[in-house]
Amino acid sequence: MTKTKKYWKGLAELNNDPIVEKLAQNEFTEEIPVDEFLGDSGLANSSTSRRDFLKFLGFSTAAATLAACETPVNKVIPYVVKPEETVPGIANYYASTIYDGHDFASVLVKTREGRPIKLESNKTCTNARVQASVLSLYDSARLRNPMKDGKDSDWKTVDTDITSKLNEIKNNGGNIALLTSTIISPTTEKLISDFSEKYGNVKHIQMDALSSHGMLEANLETFGVRALPNYNFDKADVIVSFGADFIGNWGHPNNESDYSKGRNPKNGKMSKHFQVESTLTLTGSNADERIQIKPSEQAGLLSNLYNALNGSSTLDKRIAKIVDSLIEAKTSIVVCNSNDKEVQLLVNAINNKLGNYGSTIDMQKTSYLRKGNDKDVSNLVDDINSGKIDALITYNVNPSYNLVNADEFNKGLGKVDLKISTSLYMDETAINMDYVCPDNHNLESWGDANPSNGEYTLMQPTINPLFNGRQFQDSLLSWIGSSEEYYNLLKNSYSSWEEKLHDGYFEGEQVNHSLTSNFSAPSFSIPSSKGIEFEISEKISMGDGSNSNNPWLQELPDPLSRACWDNYLTMSASTARDLGIKNWHVSNGALNGSKVNITVNSKTLENVPVLIQPGQAVGSVAMAVGYGRTNAGKCGTGVGHNAFTFVNGGKADISIIEGEHEFAGVQLHHTMMGRDIVKETTLADFINDPSSGNHREKYYTHDGLKTSDQVTLWDKHDHQTGHFWNQSIDLTLCTGCAACVISCHAENNVPVVGKEEVRKSRDMHWLRIDRYFSSEMTKERSAEEKISAIDMYSEMEDPSENPEVVFQPVMCQHCNNAPCETVCPVAATTHSAEGLNHMTYNRCVGTRYCANNCPYKVRRFNWFQYSDNDKFDYNMNDDYGKMVLNPDVVVRSRGVIEKCSMCIQMIQEIKLKAKTNGVSVKDEDVQTACSSACSTGAMIFGDSNDSSHEIYNLKNDPRKYDLLDHLNVAPSVFYQTKVRNKS
Amino acid sequence: MVSLTNLKLRVLFLSVLCFLSFNSVAQSEGEQIFKSVCAACHSIGEGKLIGPDAKEWMTSERFTSTEDPEGTLIKYVQNPAAFGVIEMPAQALSADEIKAVLNYINEYVPEEKPVAVSSDLSEEEEDNAISNIYIYIIVLLLLIFILTSVKNSLKESLSQPTETVLESVKNYITINRNKIIIGFILFVSIMYLVYNLMMGVGVVEKYQPDQPIAFSHEIHAGLNGVDCNYCHSSAKNSAHSGVPSANVCMNCHAVVKGGDDEAKNEIGKIWKSFGLDIETDDFDWNKVDTYTQTPIEWVRVHNLPDHAYFNHAQHVTVGGLECQQCHGNMQEKTVGQVATAEELNKIDYNIKDGIEFDHPTLTMGWCIDCHRQKEVNMEENDYYTEMHKNLKEKHGTEEGFTVDMIGGLECGKCHY
Repeated sequence: MTKTKKYWKGLAELNNDPIVEKLAQNEFTEEIPVDEFLGDSGLANSSTSRRDFLKFLGFSTAAATLAACETPVNKVIPYVVKPEETVPGIANYYASTIYDGHDFASVLVKTREGRPIKLESNKTCTNARVQASVLSLYDSARLRNPMKDGKDSDWKTVDTDITSKLNEIKNNGGNIALLTSTIISPTTEKLISDFSEKYGNVKHIQMDALSSHGMLEANLETFGVRALPNYNFDKADVIVSFGADFIGNWGHPNNESDYSKGRNPKNGKMSKHFQVESTLTLTGSNADERIQIKPSEQAGLLSNLYNALNGSSTLDKRIAKIVDSLIEAKTSIVVCNSNDKEVQLLVNAINNKLGNYGSTIDMQKTSYLRKGNDKDVSNLVDDINSGKIDALITYNVNPSYNLVNADEFNKGLGKVDLKISTSLYMDETAINMDYVCPDNHNLESWGDANPSNGEYTLMQPTINPLFNGRQFQDSLLSWIGSSEEYYNLLKNSYSSWEEKLHDGYFEGEQVNHSLTSNFSAPSFSIPSSKGIEFEISEKISMGDGSNSNNPWLQELPDPLSRACWDNYLTMSASTARDLGIKNWHVSNGALNGSKVNITVNSKTLENVPVLIQPGQAVGSVAMAVGYGRTNAGKCGTGVGHNAFTFVNGGKADISIIEGEHEFAGVQLHHTMMGRDIVKETTLADFINDPSSGNHREKYYTHDGLKTSDQVTLWDKHDHQTGHFWNQSIDLTLCTGCAACVISCHAENNVPVVGKEEVRKSRDMHWLRIDRYFSSEMTKERSAEEKISAIDMYSEMEDPSENPEVVFQPVMCQHCNNAPCETVCPVAATTHSAEGLNHMTYNRCVGTRYCANNCPYKVRRFNWFQYSDNDKFDYNMNDDYGKMVLNPDVVVRSRGVIEKCSMCIQMIQEIKLKAKTNGVSVKDEDVQTACSSACSTGAMIFGDSNDSSHEIYNLKNDPRKYDLLDHLNVAPSVFYQTKVRNKS
Repeated sequence: MVSLTNLKLRVLFLSVLCFLSFNSVAQSEGEQIFKSVCAACHSIGEGKLIGPDAKEWMTSERFTSTEDPEGTLIKYVQNPAAFGVIEMPAQALSADEIKAVLNYINEYVPEEKPVAVSSDLSEEEEDNAISNIYIYIIVLLLLIFILTSVKNSLKESLSQPTETVLESVKNYITINRNKIIIGFILFVSIMYLVYNLMMGVGVVEKYQPDQPIAFSHEIHAGLNGVDCNYCHSSAKNSAHSGVPSANVCMNCHAVVKGGDDEAKNEIGKIWKSFGLDIETDDFDWNKVDTYTQTPIEWVRVHNLPDHAYFNHAQHVTVGGLECQQCHGNMQEKTVGQVATAEELNKIDYNIKDGIEFDHPTLTMGWCIDCHRQKEVNMEENDYYTEMHKNLKEKHGTEEGFTVDMIGGLECGKCHY
């Protein structure tokens, strides 16, 4: 019976399908492409049997193991003559200055064994770009030698050629143009005038990649001084900014710290900050109230504001609140980013009407950081094209890349007889030049700076020039025919030189401007424009693009879009919907987006990706400059598109095209989904009750309602005996500027992983700044309107069109009840009595249990060997780039977890210093890399067992809260509630 | 025969030791001064060292031909430059002290050198161990033979078939019960060997690589009493003890050029790193910048892996440890070597601090050994004041706070 019974595996077998027969023979119907994955056709034909193979494998493994047991022979090479100030293992600090034509900062340079490895701020704020500039020093894309006609040459040849040609031009009465960035060095200015004297018809033209020409001209007309004013943001009760990103990229670097001084709710008083803009900037995201406008409406609104202050009743209701606040306030500041002189004249008139000159705006202590003259530059381009210029020397500028009419400039260059660039790189401009005389990096050069009236800084070399470059000033001297060195020239310009050099920053001679007050208020109306308008934006990572080849900056996520290695068109969700543009997540969570062609002022950029950015005004689009470099070096070349083409803005024609773009974002969600990750309150509530907004959840137990720490299962650590390191992060003061992120990179040898890896969420940042947008949907609203939970949560995912923004720096929270420690099978992560969570890389076997159990997701896994690996061709795969590594911190290898150590190397160093001197640890000395880079004072680090330290008070502040308090992980890092000055 | 010669040598060595110790008790003032001041450059009756032989020099015509030989000698020592001699620095010694030295030189009786003997001794110990093993093996084999022959004679008396030695061994092994026992013994001994082999991985005790210069710590730190910190100057305030840069060597060796050809050859290598020839060139501090400098590439003896952080200043300056506590008596050795734990356990400082190492030098266990045993001196350092108070409260004792009690065993203190 049973023998005759047949079971079919399927209909195919019943029907005698030939595939069944085939499957019975082979597991797969198609042939497996063995050759393809073996790669070597020889392998298939080899006679080595599997047994032989295993024997060889066994033998070679054993041999390799035995060989590995031998101690490697290491060399130790001392100096022949040790410089007196150098002690191996001990860092030296030198005061110097960073100025690259765009960013300025007075810095302390930390050097180890003669190598600069880190920059700290010295009296001025340092932004992310300044922090990262130490890596640019070690950029192997820098020119090694002077170049003649694109070939390596030597200084003697180049100098002889240039001098003879310059003399020829002089004798023929030719014109020489010297195109430089804004020059803030008084000694260089003197040198340029010497050069002009020597060669006669020399025209010195200063240009800024992102120009403030309009404002400078307006001030010249109003006050008779062509300079930018000094703003005291700390003294203003009301701050109104029309598009000016003064925290991120606009004006003096100290704006940020000044601003935050006036924003500390501790004193019961905060400035009220309005931002009127179309593109969401860092400053806008910090504003108490943000008003979205189209770029073309700016002038009209300012006019409206001016009239309203003068009593007019026709008021645009969008700015009604601003007018009320301004009239009410004692002191205020109104700033505007417009590059239109007429608009800036109006802004001057508004500030004058409000009586701000002399109180919050200082026209005596003027800033000299922008001097560029757009008119001169456009005249120069005309002159070049009409063959009037015989020699062109460029310094610190890259006009072929960042001029709006770069094509015209490049075309005309053929008519110039002698073209010299002094760029450090073979950049877009240098490649068109006859001679390239590479300048030295700031950290290899002597110099001085006069960033604002009465404020001076000095620049000193902290390392011998790495390459055969020569600083621009010495080049000029040599072309003048002087045998003097720039160093001597500089030294002789200042009295008590050594003292000043030691300090790096000093108050000096202040010019007394004789000011006129020639105020005028041009009138503008608000155009009724339809269609989409374009404006440029600037990222805090890339700036004007001169640091484009810096991998730290390329991988620094934008604080607002959280995307890196890219620029893109930002657009509001509703505009995108109208145009049929989409952003979507692919299977691994990464973000993809549509691509468009965009035409502005009859110029077109093709294949531009679009990122939907909450906060971008409806009907406007923006794109960051600094990308789309064609000759930047291996990191910067070909990343993004060059938005300098559209620098003047205008009507945009956008047509969606086929294809999709892959973004590399580090944060894929926008909102907090109704959780209290960032706790918030308003100033009024805070004054009533300092703990407002800081509600601590209680839970039902058999013993009544209790907070999470009262129902703990954990044994307490003894944190009382020694130190207890804590860090407080004030979310009110944090502006999201990301200087701390780069500072952490530099201090802790954090690797760069590249765009593809970031897309796979394998970024290695030890410190990230989470950004959350507010949503229209809240739990309260859903309860009121009886919206179902599913609908509520799905709506919560969408940020508002004009959202409130919060930034939250998150590093390892150093939990004292640490979830990671309990799950590590090899005890590679352990707890210290000083309140730190230690990570022992050499013990880690890479199970990643800890990362999975970490509620804050701050643990990073080394998927690959990021150093000495051609697949990750960034600074750690480069003999020069590796010189920036901090020798006190190990470079992690593949297969281990790494994370923030709370800069334990710095803590140990400070403790040792105290022990050797036999004193207790001084409060002001204790810093982490992030807290030392924080110019707003948002991050405070210290020993909370020391009641005299600020951290002790912060720990007991009513605003203090632990992130994810309900987990009772008792972190050593805590936050202070964000206070907004809004009603 | 071998042991007999050894015995003779031992007696000789002991007698030399006795002689030495007797001598050191009766050390005269002259001897003390000579050893601390002169011996670095001069020998007595053993030829030229760095300076001339002291005895030859004393009896040279230069002095014997003068009216008052002793007076001239004293003046010479106090200010050699007055006699046109610039190599020897002036000595701040009184006339009486110099007289005592001269007496000592006069009465000096050369000693026997014990150095060669001691090195023979250690080799001989090793020889003994090996020959012992041979003896055991022979005895065991003899036993097998004897037992087999006893067994055979017994069997013969019972007129059973006899077996040869090999057969009886083979029979013994093939019994099942014995197979298990022998297998077990073999397994255990192999595992023991493997364990020992594995525990030896990364152990670098006695590591003493060849160095580019045959530098002797014995001559510098031992004989001449140069302080360790003079050359390893950063040990006091930096993580690294530092290999001295060539300019530190030249502080002395610009003048001290070596007594014999061998020494001159080695010191010449320092000159060479300045691009100079010790025989023909002059060294001028003012011209150092103009010399072609090539650094000396030493071979690192104490190799700390990248993932471990060690700070000398913490141990030397704050912890108050002596160099010898970790590095052994370097002043008795030649080129750098990793000391063994046994050697370190004999160091007086370690005995006084109650430190006994169980783990091989430079392994993590070795560090931990010390951190568990070394008490922290909290009295004289204000940094510890608060912590000391808290510790006393916590433990209810006044002292005995070892490094591990203040976090000295935490991973992150050394690994970051």
